[in-house]
Amino acid sequence: MLDKVVTMAAPLGDLRTIEKFLIHEAQLLDERRFEEWRDLFTEDGYYWVPLEPDQTSPEGRASLFYDDKRMMDIRFERLRHPNIHSQSPPHRTCHLIGNIAVESVDERQGECSVISNMIMTDYRMRTQRLFSGRVQHRLRQEGDSYKIVMKRVDLINCDDVFELIAVPF
Amino acid sequence: MRLDPEALRTLVHRDRVHRSLYLDPEVFDLEMHKIFGAGWVYVGHDSLVPKLGDFITTRIGKHPVVMSRHADGKIYVIHNSCGHRGAIVCNEEKGNAQIFRCCYHGWTFKTNGDLDAVAMPRGYGKDFDLSNPALGMGRVARVGIYRGFVFASLSANGPSLEEHLGHARDSIDELADRAPDGEISLGGGVHKYLFRGNWKLQLENAVDMYHVPFSHESTVRRSGKQFGRRAGEDSASAISDRGSAAQRWEQRSAWGSRSNGHGYNGHQPIAEQLPDDPVFNAYRALLERRHGVQRTREILTPKRHNTAFYPNMTLQALNQHVRVIVPVSVDRTEVHVYPVMLKGAPDEMNKSFVRHLNVTHSAASLIQTDDLECFRRCQDGLNAQGSDWVWFARGIDTDKVDERGDYVNTGTGEVQQRAQYAAWLRLMSAEG
Repeated sequence: MLDKVVTMAAPLGDLRTIEKFLIHEAQLLDERRFEEWRDLFTEDGYYWVPLEPDQTSPEGRASLFYDDKRMMDIRFERLRHPNIHSQSPPHRTCHLIGNIAVESVDERQGECSVISNMIMTDYRMRTQRLFSGRVQHRLRQEGDSYKIVMKRVDLINCDDVFELIAVPF
Repeated sequence: MRLDPEALRTLVHRDRVHRSLYLDPEVFDLEMHKIFGAGWVYVGHDSLVPKLGDFITTRIGKHPVVMSRHADGKIYVIHNSCGHRGAIVCNEEKGNAQIFRCCYHGWTFKTNGDLDAVAMPRGYGKDFDLSNPALGMGRVARVGIYRGFVFASLSANGPSLEEHLGHARDSIDELADRAPDGEISLGGGVHKYLFRGNWKLQLENAVDMYHVPFSHESTVRRSGKQFGRRAGEDSASAISDRGSAAQRWEQRSAWGSRSNGHGYNGHQPIAEQLPDDPVFNAYRALLERRHGVQRTREILTPKRHNTAFYPNMTLQALNQHVRVIVPVSVDRTEVHVYPVMLKGAPDEMNKSFVRHLNVTHSAASLIQTDDLECFRRCQDGLNAQGSDWVWFARGIDTDKVDERGDYVNTGTGEVQQRAQYAAWLRLMSAEG
C-alpha cells in the first residue's frame, strides 16, 4: 500500500511524482477508501464527468458526475449506508492509468495540468463492464503533496445509455 | 389468437395483474402494436429542435422516427426509413440538415419527409412515378403539440390529443407557467440509462409514493430527513414510514385516469418555504410582472409532484425533469431524463436546476440508482413460480371516483397503477 507517495524534493510537474500520485488516487477508489479520495481535492476542487463529447462546461448542461466536496460527502455517506440496495453487493472496481503527460505547468499558481488515459473495469452481479476515457487533472502543489483542483473524465461512450454507476472513474 | 380480449381480461384484475405482462415477449409485441403503435405517444419537445433544419431521432415503440423543424418552421415527425430500400436515413441522435440523404443509393428527402430527388433517375422506366409520395420517408399519421410537447400517433384514427391528455394536461401548464416566458426548454442535455426490466416498471414507479422510504432508504439520514440537494441546504423533506412524516406523506393526493392511464401525485402538503435569495426574488419579480402577485403565488405553489402521461412520458415538479420511457424488449428499457429549464428565468437558477438533476437522476445519481436496482430485481424475481400475480391493492377500499369518472385517493396508495392497468386492458383489447 502506498501512503505519502509524493516527495517534495521533486519540482512541480515532475512526471514520476505525478504518476505515483495518480496511482495512489486510483488505489483509494479501488479500495473504497472514498473519504480519503475526497481529501485529495482542494476545498474548491471538483470532479466532473461530462455526458457529451467536447462538452465545454458543467454549468447548464447535464453531467454524469459534477461533485464539489460537499456533494462528495453526501455521496460517500450514502455509499456507506447499511441499506443502500444498489450496492448490495457492492461494485468492485479496477482502475488502470497510462499515457500520462504533463500538459502545462503554472509556477506562479503552483499548479500543473496533467492528461492521462484511464480504463476502469467494474463488476457486480455477474456483470463486468469496461469504461475508458481521457482524464484531465488540474493539480496544485500543497505542502509535501498535490491536491486536485479539478478532475475531468471524458468517457469515450459518455453519451451512451448506462446501467447504474456507483464508483467514480 | 392467444391474447384475445377474453384472455387479456383474465390477466388484469382491479387489484392485481398477471406476471406474464412483464415476462411474455408476445405481450410486449402486442403492446408495441396496440399501445405504442396506435395511440398518442410522446416524441420530444420543440426546444430540442430550435432552428430550421434541426432534428432528433427517436422511436415510437419499435418504429424509428425523426422529429424535425422544416424550412416552414413547423415540426414534423417522419419515419426514419428511406422510401427506396428502407435504410435508416438520419443516423445521428441529433443534428441539423437542409436535406436528408440516404447513405445507400443517395436518395434525398426534404426535412418534412417528402422525396427530394432520386439518384440517377433516368434509369427508371416511364411508368415509375418519381413524384409518388410513397417514395418519400413519409410522415406519421398524426402529430399534436401542446406547449412545446410533441406527441404523435401512428394511427389516423382515435381520440384527439386534447381528449387523450384530458385532465393530465394541467400538469404541463403547471410546469410551463413557472417560466417567466411561459415556455420551458429541454436544451440542457439528457441523462440516459438502461435497465434490464420491463418498461411498465418505470411507468408505475414514476407515480409511486409508497416506495420512497424503502427504496431510497440510503438517502435518509438518522434524523429522518433526506440529504439536502441544493446549495446551502443541509437537509430536505422528512421521509419516514413512521410518525408524522409518514402521515404527511400519506396526505398527498393522487389521481388516475381509468380511460387514458395518466396519473399524478399531489405535492406534499407541507408549506415548502420559498427561497429568499436575490436570484429567486428576481425570478419571482419576473413572474409578478407577467401575472400579478396573486397568480404568481398560485404558480409557485406546486400542486402536482409527479405526473405520468401514459404510456411513455413523466413530469416531475420537485427535481424538475421530463422523463421518456423507451421500451427495447420485454425485459430491457431505456430511460431518457431531460432537465427542465424555465425560459426567461435567471441563468443561475436554470443552471442550478440542471446541476441538482445530476445529483438525483443521472445514471450515477444518489436517487435514481435505487430505482434502477429495484427494477432489475423485480424483473429477475418475477420469474419465480411462487405466484402468478403482481399486486396493486393498496388503498383499493378507499378509492373514490371523481366527476370525470377517474380514480382519486391518497398519494401512497396504488390508485395510479390501477388506472394504468385499466387503460392497458382497454387499449390492448381494442379492435385493429
